[in-house]
Amino acid sequence: MNLLLNFFMKFFVPSANAAEHVGFFEAIKPPVDISTNGHLIDSLFNLTTNLILFFFFFVCLGIFGFSYLYNKKRHPKPFYDHGTSRKQLALVAGIGALVFIMVDMQITTISNHDFVNHFLNYPKDTEKVVKVEVLAQQWAWNFRYPGKDGIFNTEDDVVTLNDLRVPVNTKIVFQVSSKDVIHALFFPNARIKVDAMPGRISRLWYELTKTGQYPIACAEMCGTFHYRMQAKLTVYPEAEYDAWIAEMEERAIHVTEPDKPELFWGWQWEPNGITTLSKN
Amino acid sequence: MAFFEQDIHDAPTTFLSKYVFSYDHKVIAKQFLWYGIAFLGVGGMMAIMIRWTLAFPGEPFPVIGDLLFPNSGGAVPPDTYAMLFTLHGTIMIFFAITPILIGAFGNFCIPLMIGARDMVFPTLNMLSFWLAVLSAVLLLASLFTPLGGAAGGWTSYPTLSTLIGSAGVGQTLWCLSLFVLGVSSTMGAVNYIATIITLRAPGMGYFDMPLTVWGLWLTAVLNAIFLPVLGAGLLLLTFDRVFGTTFFLAGAAATSGSGDPVLFQHVFWIFGHPEVYILILPAWGVVSDLLSFFARKPAFGAKATALAMTSITILSTVVYGHHMYSTQMSPLLTQSFMMLTMVISIPSAVFFANWLGTLWKGSIRFQTPMLFSLGVVFVFGLGGLTGLYLATVSTDLYLHDTYFVVGHFHYTMAASVLLGGFAGTYYWFPKMYGRMMNERLGKIHFWISMVGLNGIFMGMMIIGHAGMHRRIYNPFVYEHLQNLIPLNRFITYSALVMGAGQLFFVYNFIYSMYKGPIATQNPWEVGTLEWTVPSPAPHYNFKEIPVVRCGPHELGNPNLVGKDFQYQTEELVKA
Repeated sequence: MNLLLNFFMKFFVPSANAAEHVGFFEAIKPPVDISTNGHLIDSLFNLTTNLILFFFFFVCLGIFGFSYLYNKKRHPKPFYDHGTSRKQLALVAGIGALVFIMVDMQITTISNHDFVNHFLNYPKDTEKVVKVEVLAQQWAWNFRYPGKDGIFNTEDDVVTLNDLRVPVNTKIVFQVSSKDVIHALFFPNARIKVDAMPGRISRLWYELTKTGQYPIACAEMCGTFHYRMQAKLTVYPEAEYDAWIAEMEERAIHVTEPDKPELFWGWQWEPNGITTLSKN
Repeated sequence: MAFFEQDIHDAPTTFLSKYVFSYDHKVIAKQFLWYGIAFLGVGGMMAIMIRWTLAFPGEPFPVIGDLLFPNSGGAVPPDTYAMLFTLHGTIMIFFAITPILIGAFGNFCIPLMIGARDMVFPTLNMLSFWLAVLSAVLLLASLFTPLGGAAGGWTSYPTLSTLIGSAGVGQTLWCLSLFVLGVSSTMGAVNYIATIITLRAPGMGYFDMPLTVWGLWLTAVLNAIFLPVLGAGLLLLTFDRVFGTTFFLAGAAATSGSGDPVLFQHVFWIFGHPEVYILILPAWGVVSDLLSFFARKPAFGAKATALAMTSITILSTVVYGHHMYSTQMSPLLTQSFMMLTMVISIPSAVFFANWLGTLWKGSIRFQTPMLFSLGVVFVFGLGGLTGLYLATVSTDLYLHDTYFVVGHFHYTMAASVLLGGFAGTYYWFPKMYGRMMNERLGKIHFWISMVGLNGIFMGMMIIGHAGMHRRIYNPFVYEHLQNLIPLNRFITYSALVMGAGQLFFVYNFIYSMYKGPIATQNPWEVGTLEWTVPSPAPHYNFKEIPVVRCGPHELGNPNLVGKDFQYQTEELVKA
């Protein structure tokens, strides 16, 4: 009885949690977009939604409208028709073609364009970018910056745990791998994710436009504490980032112990991205 | 057209041969139905525990929580949570939907609808059921192993599902259980295919078969082709777990040579995507027929519907890559899979046009099976259309592995298939048990289910778009998800409502079996062959093998006198 009472209390009595006072439409908005490419995803999402609603409206019109017009009472004599006349077949084929051209081809074209020209358009070597290597493990994110020498897996690398800091308005390139099981590096605010797979390097790039602190999540089921595999993304103004990374680089030279091999989990930066890690 | 003479065997007399080890396709169908409904209950209960945890993380599960999780004060612990969603998926797909839609309806409808006395291979049929039982025993046994059952998600991606991520015998038993189930379903599938090809009644061409049989047939084809693929993958995974091979191991963990975890994803999804259609095709078939039967007019473009189903069956085999965009396949593959996936829209649009065309100018009787069929059209519309977001690669970068995906595939695989299954159950119940189910309870069941499942799955899509990712025990450790607490609770309440609504079905089903009004031979006034024999159907089905003279959807013919439908055994009445 107590349990039942508890249950109904929960249902009817609003909890004192402040978060619950956010309005419904405010609450269901996707996280604030902080990347240069996020709006592409949002706008394609909205376009798809509009197209879907357009067609679903007709489906509903058919279901409810015909149910109303042609129920047994209102329309006792059914129209004996097999729907096989030339006209009807053309109509059905036309609907198929209309949906395909109006919805599918349109969103596919847009998505393909965005994919090729933005998401796959990795910064060139000549551009100024921040390179980060990411190693996922159960249940944490390791980040590695190349340090002063600009080469990964050396003694002066800056290594952080669950703490990614990047400058605003700069292209960031990630190479991602995993130590144990498959994880997925998910930046909800940048609308992007990539799997972290053992034995492979996958890659990701973005450019952020807003400073502040944002969440990083693991999106691929990776075991019991998958839900706690959370990291913080801090986006600094450029000057602040430079100061932070300079301090970290200075510290790294003094802190890293060269004879501890497990600290050198990094890999040589792969200029061409997706690769299978060679066995060593 | 039958290839050989079918004899009438003597009726089985002992309890064992009549109800347990029966060769009769109708008894095996009922066995599968009970099996499926039982597991639907188990899987549904798991869903409610999952939902409870997401709405009230860390709080004791009401009533039975203390009994099930004594060590955590009645709350679902995180490792059990992983086990729950893994087994919820596994059970619902392989142990609830598959037995009900394919095992029960496939067995019951195919011989009766094509005018055969039984399946071609009755022994194989019986074996198929008992292997499914063995598989269920293996799965349930895994729950009682020291480290518990499988907890790597129903997709069980390595390396999480290898010894690196899940120690203990639970995951191995899970692999073996699904392997055995694959063997069982393959047995069923070859039986269905062979039966439909060889035992159609004389005069019955392929396009004279009811669309239900078309759906079941295409499903069987996909099952026969792709379940062995899953079986192979699971066997390799079992080898990795038990014999120390490294098919799916890579990186630091692969101490002797290295394989590739992504390989498993390819193997899994080349089965997994057709599996979606394996589940939905029978429902499509049933709905296409029922819409025509209850609108009292011929199915609109029945041949086009059958061909659209066939083309979807073929297309379903070449689109699986859209499950793997985030693994960064070669861009060319990604683009190809995106394009191929989009092509599925065309046959899907043909379905909808034909379904609505069937309703157009009909004389619709809103009996329970019809309500459920209309429900399928509605929810499959939502489920199918929302697939577009996930087929385009750029939106999938954001939505992949979020609750949006969960909502989407539940609309297609859970909502549509479940409603289709209920439609079929209400519709064929009189032929199975010789009694009618209660209409009023059926309608209550329909409306509660409809409200409940739209609340759940629409809610899931909304929270997914708001950024909540999948398979997390407590979403609210993330600051950006805390606004979603009320909506998560709403989904849980919808789930409870939906769960409670199913009690109407269970009561109706069991009560009607014993106490329902006696059904006439043809309560729905439909002309397909199963309605030409008494209810319940005798063990030999047809005293005389029928000769088919017209299509399955001859309703509302104005030249008919005294009735508005004609049996398939009658010559088409013309003016």
